[in-house]
Amino acid sequence: MTTGSGSNLIRVYSSAEAALAGLDQGASLFVSGYAGRHEPAGLLDSVIHAGVGGLTVICQGGGAAGTPPSGIDRLVEAGLVKKLISPLPFNPRDHGAIKRAWESRRLELEVQPTGVLAERIRAGGAGLGGIFLPTGAGTRFAEGREVRVIDGREHLFQPAIRADFALIRAAVADSLGNLTYSGTGRNWSPIMAMSARVTVAEVDEIREPGGLDPEFVITPAIFVQRMIQSRSLG
Amino acid sequence: MPGDRLDPQKMAQRAAQEIRPGETVAVGTGLAASLPAVIPPGSGAWLLAESGAIGYRPATGSNVVDASGHTAEIAPGGAVVGTVDAAALLSGGHVGLAFLEASQVNEKGDFVHWTTAETFSLAAPGFAVDLASGAHRLVLLMTHAHEGGISRIQRQCTLPVDGAGCASLVVTDIAVLGLTGSGLELLEVAPGWNADDVAAMTEAPLAVSANLREMTFNVPMLPWPNKVYESAAEAVADIAEGSVVNVDGFGGPGGMAHYLMVALRDHGAKGLTMISNTAGIAQVARFGAPEGVTPIDHTILVENGQIGHAIATYPVSPSVNRPSAFERAFLAGESTLEVSPQGTLAERLRSGGAGVAAFYTPTGVGTLLGEGKELREINGRPYVLEQGILADFCIIRGHKADTLGNMVYKGTSRNFNPVMATAARTTIVEVDEIVAPGELDPEAVVTPGVFVDRIVKRPADFSPYLETA
Repeated sequence: MTTGSGSNLIRVYSSAEAALAGLDQGASLFVSGYAGRHEPAGLLDSVIHAGVGGLTVICQGGGAAGTPPSGIDRLVEAGLVKKLISPLPFNPRDHGAIKRAWESRRLELEVQPTGVLAERIRAGGAGLGGIFLPTGAGTRFAEGREVRVIDGREHLFQPAIRADFALIRAAVADSLGNLTYSGTGRNWSPIMAMSARVTVAEVDEIREPGGLDPEFVITPAIFVQRMIQSRSLG
Repeated sequence: MPGDRLDPQKMAQRAAQEIRPGETVAVGTGLAASLPAVIPPGSGAWLLAESGAIGYRPATGSNVVDASGHTAEIAPGGAVVGTVDAAALLSGGHVGLAFLEASQVNEKGDFVHWTTAETFSLAAPGFAVDLASGAHRLVLLMTHAHEGGISRIQRQCTLPVDGAGCASLVVTDIAVLGLTGSGLELLEVAPGWNADDVAAMTEAPLAVSANLREMTFNVPMLPWPNKVYESAAEAVADIAEGSVVNVDGFGGPGGMAHYLMVALRDHGAKGLTMISNTAGIAQVARFGAPEGVTPIDHTILVENGQIGHAIATYPVSPSVNRPSAFERAFLAGESTLEVSPQGTLAERLRSGGAGVAAFYTPTGVGTLLGEGKELREINGRPYVLEQGILADFCIIRGHKADTLGNMVYKGTSRNFNPVMATAARTTIVEVDEIVAPGELDPEAVVTPGVFVDRIVKRPADFSPYLETA
């Protein structure tokens, strides 16, 4: 539980189950990670264990071809995902759980270019209603989108996107929720943390406040409501 | 018989010859993933992966992955960013060149990434559409024909395209094809192949270059362009009359490019549009400046008659009794003004740098600042449409930069600087210290060198106050 206020604020939860309280059937969920790397594996395991279904999951996609199933693959395999919004749900040359679920119509996919999805999430976190981006004009990714010519170039209207929860992975945090990442473990986490109503971070190391260089904090604690200590390698 | 088909490494070596010194190069998956391994270590260009790696190279056992999920490391002079920032480098036009695998291309430069007849109902672009839409030049890598001999170089793409008219060069396993605007032109052939061999495997009409030659596979070591300027005067010398200039600084002494401001005043270009937070109030607000000194800020440009137009959020003095120089210029009709809410100005600059032409914000709805702007209700809430801004020049201050332009700031002197740096065609920075590539932690870089064109060291004894009696 989050208790106290001011300097007594405690955002570190003892278990993934407790940190995911309120994540119910039919929720929308941002999940950070890239091609199966740097996932919030403990949080995803907990969602799978709890069997919370009907989820809309917004993420990079499943694991890379030829690698063990990622957390997203396992979430889909468990039948908990109704819809996946992703730039690359799976490698078309691969034959994993996500492809099978999609082919058997157990999973709905909404596919968008990486930058379009990233900007939509960022727009949600920044309080914007939507943006006009040129990416994808003249391709099938323009279908169903409002087209507007601005400065002589076609732009597509992209509505902002938010989610009920963000499950993200971070490297080092302080106990107030200020986050840093390691290498490309940063990927989608900063914008997902901004844009979700509740952000839960799975963190490799949690320090006392003051234990992070304030110039180097990537995600300020304002965006982070709950944290757990990770038990696996990112 | 024609020669052998080129392997992916040879194709990558030929493709890598297209990289120009100092540019940012986005690398896709599939055949394009062979690129990083053929580039000489230390060569002067940044490879960009959507995972957020700028300036990476293959390596094992690292916490950095490339677009394909292969482990990599950040080379000295690189930086780590998030996925949205990597994408914004592309949509904002900061990437010179991109490499992508294609399964089909036509004579107009339309291409299909990896969709096949079996998977066409699935769109799975990943970063491909971002690369195609955003990079200035797109080089496609592909096998010239399917294994059954059917050409991939077609009159019409038979699958949904991932980019329309985007390709500028096609490197195949037997040839190099250019796109001239009127069609495909055979520029080079692989060893052992001739124009007739290639034409026989090409469905689309193919012109043959008068300078047709054999492909080569040496990958040159590129020099990094020099960004460090000896003097501020030299760094601002080409700011022309009528330019649009981002000028940093929140208000007070922090983060203001005093040294460059003085150089711009001495340079004297007039009719400038200045984009800044305050338009210059340090001389009236003081911000803790000692008695008897005159702080340097935007005011020196205003008083020199250089500012024809300002876009600012706080363009007036906090005191009606002591109007700022800009207020006086505005009231005298010497300058015009556009006022933007502070967050809106920051977002407009970020948008300009990220290729977002316009955005809907709730800020300013129902106020004077929302008047005359398009209003739109989204999910039951009213928003106004605001435009992105892209300047010609940007003069800002950082704390430390490496010679490639990667930069960190100090305290709240960061303020508008990171977004301003992205939203100008030429970004000029002054810093307290210039270090060698690799000296800055790539995780801690706030402004990647991609955005920085010129670097000037602010002399240690430079005073932020005017020498006055």
